[in-house]
Amino acid sequence: MNLIVSAIGQGLLWALLGLGLYLTFRILNLADMTVEGTFPLGAAVAVTAITHGFSPLAATLLAFGAGMLAGLVTGLLYTKGKIPFLLAGILTMTATYSVNLRIMGKSNISLLGQKTLFSGSFMTSLPQYFDSVVLGMIVIVIITLLLIFFLDTDYGQSFIATGDNPVMAKSLGIHTDATINVGLMISNGLVGLCGALVAQNNGYADVNMGIGTIVIALASIIIGEVAFGELTLSQRLVAVTLGSIIYRLILLAVLQLGFSANDLNLISSIVLALCMMLPQLDKLFHIRKPFFKGVQTND
Amino acid sequence: MKRMYTVIAILLAFLGVAYFKENGGIVKQAKPKVGVLTLMHHPALDQIYKGFVHGLAEEGYHNGKNITIDYQNANGDQSNLKTMANKLVNENSTVLFGITTPASQALANSTKKIPIVLGAVTNPQGAGLVKNNKRPGGNVTGISDQAPVKEQLQLVHKFMPHAKTLGIIYTSSDSSAVTEYKEFMKYAKQMHLNLKAYSISNSNDLNQVSQQMLSEVDAVIVPTDNTIAGAMQTLVKNANAVNKPVFPAVDTMVKQGGVATYSINQYKLGVEGGKLTADILKGKKKPSTTAIKYIRHGEPVLNLKQARKLGLHVPASFQREAEKYGEVIK
Repeated sequence: MNLIVSAIGQGLLWALLGLGLYLTFRILNLADMTVEGTFPLGAAVAVTAITHGFSPLAATLLAFGAGMLAGLVTGLLYTKGKIPFLLAGILTMTATYSVNLRIMGKSNISLLGQKTLFSGSFMTSLPQYFDSVVLGMIVIVIITLLLIFFLDTDYGQSFIATGDNPVMAKSLGIHTDATINVGLMISNGLVGLCGALVAQNNGYADVNMGIGTIVIALASIIIGEVAFGELTLSQRLVAVTLGSIIYRLILLAVLQLGFSANDLNLISSIVLALCMMLPQLDKLFHIRKPFFKGVQTND
Repeated sequence: MKRMYTVIAILLAFLGVAYFKENGGIVKQAKPKVGVLTLMHHPALDQIYKGFVHGLAEEGYHNGKNITIDYQNANGDQSNLKTMANKLVNENSTVLFGITTPASQALANSTKKIPIVLGAVTNPQGAGLVKNNKRPGGNVTGISDQAPVKEQLQLVHKFMPHAKTLGIIYTSSDSSAVTEYKEFMKYAKQMHLNLKAYSISNSNDLNQVSQQMLSEVDAVIVPTDNTIAGAMQTLVKNANAVNKPVFPAVDTMVKQGGVATYSINQYKLGVEGGKLTADILKGKKKPSTTAIKYIRHGEPVLNLKQARKLGLHVPASFQREAEKYGEVIK
C-alpha cells in the first residue's frame, strides 16, 4: 500500500516533465532533446542554490528560470541559427553537461541536513510518502491550470497554430519564431522545475541524472493518450499526469512481480512500444476493449 | 472522458484510504532481510557484491537459509534508484547495503532508521552521507574504497626516481575519482613530486587528452575511476606508442596494461562490508558509533610483461613483495 502511494507521488512529481515535453512534442510537433540536459540543470541549480543558503522555494524558482534559459538557447539555435531542430536540442543537451559541472563544482551534491521543500513541519507531519503526493498535487494543479489559461489566450492560440501549420500561422501574421522560442522556454522551464523537485525529493543532484528522462516523459504522454483516447486539449494535459502515474505503477508492478531489475530498461521500452503500436495491433486483432479493462484493473 | 474521471476518482479514493490506514500492513518477517542497492553492472562493482555475500556467509549468514538478500540494480538509470530504495525500505529490510555513491544517497534519503552499510563510497562525509567519517552519528557507516594514495605515489617514485613530471588523469563527473585525485595532489606536494592534472568528462575525450598528456609527462597515474577503467585500452595504446608507463590504482587496470599498483581488492572490500553487516545484524555494532573503515594497505600487483615491454627497471624489492603477497602478471 505504501509503495503504491510512493509510486503515485513519484508519478505526480515526474508528470511535470511530461507536461513540459507535451508542449513541444505534441503542440509544436518538435522532438526536443534539450530536456535530458535541462532536467539535471534544474536539479543542479536548485541544489546548489539551497546549499548556498537560498530558501528552497527561491531555489526551485531559480531552477525554473535556468530551464527557460536552456530552452531559449535551443530556440535561438533553431530559429535564428537555422540549425535543424533535433540537432539544436542535442547541442544544448550536450553543452548543459559542462554547465552543470561548472554550477555544482563537482559531479554530485547531497542535500542531507539541508532545508528542502519536503522538510517543512507540515510536510514531515504527513504519513510516509504523502509529502511527494501533496506537493506534487499542488504543483501539478497550479501548473495545469496556468497552462490551460495560457493556451486559451490569444498568444496561446497563436502558439498552437504555429505547431499545427507554421506556413498558415505566418500568413496570419504570427511571429512563429517568437512563439517557438516562448514555447521552448515554458517547456524547458517546467522540465527544470521537475528536476528541482525530484532532486529535493531524492536528496541529491547528480550530473548523470538526465539519462533516460526523455523516455519517461514520452511514456507519460503516450500512456495518457492510449489510456484515455479522444479528449479536448485541457483534458489531455490532465491525461499526461495520469499517464505518468500509470507508468510508475507499471514499473512498481514489474518490480513486485519479481522481475530482475536488470530487465527494467527493456521492460520500460516494451511497455512504451506496445502502447505506441496499439492502434496497429487494434486493427489486426481488435484488442482495444480487453486492453483497457486491463489498464483499469491496474489502478 | 468518463474513463479519466473514473481513474482520478479511484486514485483519490485510494490515497484517502491509504492516508488513514498508514502503516497498517506491516508483515513480520521470520528471516532477517538484507537489501542491496547498486547503480549499475561493472566488473569492480559486481566483485564487491560477490565479496559481500561471501563476507556474510563467513559470519554464518547464508542467503536463502537464515537471511534473504534482495539485490536491486538500477542499471545506470538514476531515476530507478528512488523506487528501488523505497522498495527495500518498505520490505522492512534489517540492514541495507549501498554500492556506489548515488545508490547510498538514495538509501540514506529513504530511511533514517534502518542501518545502512556503504560499499565503494570514497568519501562518505564529502558525499553528505555521514556527519563525520570517524563518528558517523546517524544510521550510516561503511567501508571506503579510497586507494592507498601515499603508498601508490611512493611506488611510482620507486619505479621512476628520475621522472621530472608525472601526470594524473581522471573523470571530472565521477565524484570518487575527483576525491582521490585531490588526495594524490596533496601527497604529491608533500613528497615534492611534480604532478600535473588532466581531466576528461567522458570516455570519448580520453584519446585526445591522453595523447596531449603523454607528450608532456614521464609517467601516468590513474585514480580509482570507473570511466577510465572502462576505456583503459585507449590509454595503454597511447602510452605504449610513446613508451611511457601507466600506474593505475586498481588491479584490473594493471591487468589491462598498467605497470604496477598497490590496489584495494574490490572483492575483499565487499567481504569487509559483509562482515560489518553481519556485526550489525548480530547487534554487536551500531552505525552511529562505527567509524568509516579505510583499507590502508593495498595488495601489490605487478605486470611484469608490460614492464619488460617498456624496458622499465622493476625494483627487486617490489617484485619479491608482489610474488609473495600479491599478484605478478607474466
